[in-house]
Amino acid sequence: MNFLSIRDVSKVYERRGVPMLAVDSVNLTVAHDELICLLGVSGCGKSTLLQMVAGLEDPTEGEVLIDGCLVSGQTHPEASVVFQEHGLFPWMTVFDNVAFNLKARGTRRDERQRIAAEFIDLVGLTGFETRYPHELSGGMRQRVGIARAMTTRPKLLLMDEPFGALDAQTRAVMQTELLRLLEIHPSAVLFVTHGVNEAILLADRVVIMSPRPGRIRKIMDIDLQRPRDPTSAEFTALVRAVLDEIHDDISFVAKQ
Amino acid sequence: MVSMPNTISTPSAQPSASTRQKAKTRPFSSSALLGLIPIVLLLIAWELATRSGGYSSVLLPSPSAVAIVFVRDWSDLARHTGASVSRVIIGVSLAFLTATPLGLLIGRFPVLDRIMDWSVQIFRSFPIIALIPLAILFFGIGERPAIILIWIAAFWPLLISTIFGVKNVERTLMKAAKVANASNALILRDILLPSALPSILTGLRLSIGAGWLTVVTAEMMAVKSGLGYLIMYAQVIFRPDLIIAGILIIGAIGLMFDQCVRIARKRFCRWQEGLVQES
Repeated sequence: MNFLSIRDVSKVYERRGVPMLAVDSVNLTVAHDELICLLGVSGCGKSTLLQMVAGLEDPTEGEVLIDGCLVSGQTHPEASVVFQEHGLFPWMTVFDNVAFNLKARGTRRDERQRIAAEFIDLVGLTGFETRYPHELSGGMRQRVGIARAMTTRPKLLLMDEPFGALDAQTRAVMQTELLRLLEIHPSAVLFVTHGVNEAILLADRVVIMSPRPGRIRKIMDIDLQRPRDPTSAEFTALVRAVLDEIHDDISFVAKQ
Repeated sequence: MVSMPNTISTPSAQPSASTRQKAKTRPFSSSALLGLIPIVLLLIAWELATRSGGYSSVLLPSPSAVAIVFVRDWSDLARHTGASVSRVIIGVSLAFLTATPLGLLIGRFPVLDRIMDWSVQIFRSFPIIALIPLAILFFGIGERPAIILIWIAAFWPLLISTIFGVKNVERTLMKAAKVANASNALILRDILLPSALPSILTGLRLSIGAGWLTVVTAEMMAVKSGLGYLIMYAQVIFRPDLIIAGILIIGAIGLMFDQCVRIARKRFCRWQEGLVQES
């Protein structure tokens, strides 16, 4: 059964009085345990689409349904968001950051502390509870962000280029880490990225989007066995196939 | 230096940790004494001026003559200083308790901002000295007009800084709060207040400065105690040494207030260390 349904969703922005079609009639369904990567060059509307699923933006047309409920104006309680950077509250310690989503739900203090400690342990940050975000490395900060999103045990994780600002090595570690965490706490995932390798490494299906207007160009099933080897022939063949798809977009964006 | 496990390398955590150590030692290091240089130079110039005899020592007393005032009139000075300081503390506290919540609300809700913007700009333009006659008419001579004038003077810088701080909250953080379905009360208390706190404390510095200026002015007209009153009274009884002593105290207390707010800022904005330049 489909947990997330995006039906004919379009989004028009006004920029200096000129309407811009950021997302053009997108249709997509995501099953309970599916990991979907939204892949595309900047300006293809992938982040806008994610924001609409998160309830941060309302579609101009069409509708987003999570578990059969229309998303409108606020985040579905079964959904959680991991942001790229600057998503942590800099004045809160690691512990308070992780516990924040529970606090916002009115979870009791002792319960909050127990769950936060559990997830801090799960992402390997035990001992760092009283640190502030600026005292952590980029990878550790994203661990905190993921832990915070998971405390409410969401059935849908929305990740907006969560590893985009990390260096290559840390990113590789975090990708493996994410897959490990999803085995412990399975959920549907909508993962926005502009990294072709990242998308193929993580996704069950890669949704390739193209810009101006933001549309789904192609959806590719990734049937590789996990753990996936980015140097294998099948993997590189998929990378080539994806790059062929987005080649026109890359040169289009490069000319801008 | 902060120790990190080897599995997670954290090059970026190290510079910030060392910045923190530096920040901790700075206020007590010898470089803080550099601030005394202009003051010492001024004292020397003052001493030389009195010794040159260009001015009558009756009009311009020497530093030593003023120093004697601090000894001889110690109890008077302490009493008037206490009166002024307590008025400022009460007035600025009232301003803090009213301006900060209002600023948080105005910064949070654009409708309130649109309603209040013009009024804020109009009211903050009034020189406090122009309000003294009205304050005396309304509240008579005494504590009340003085405290209310300080409240008004301290209100605007705090309000404007708070609004500014709230409006400058990182947008991603507001999104993070929204996707958590945080209530307005939680957003105001746990997101906007701490996010705006550095700006609020800057406002507090300005407010205390404004309050301190106002108390002296108000005491010259509306009250019969305090440093402002003392200075006016000293002029009447022709005691320039007492006037200068009063002025020196006003300056010293101004510096002290400012240092208090800086210490508060260090204490409450520890999360900011390594993120921003210190002011």
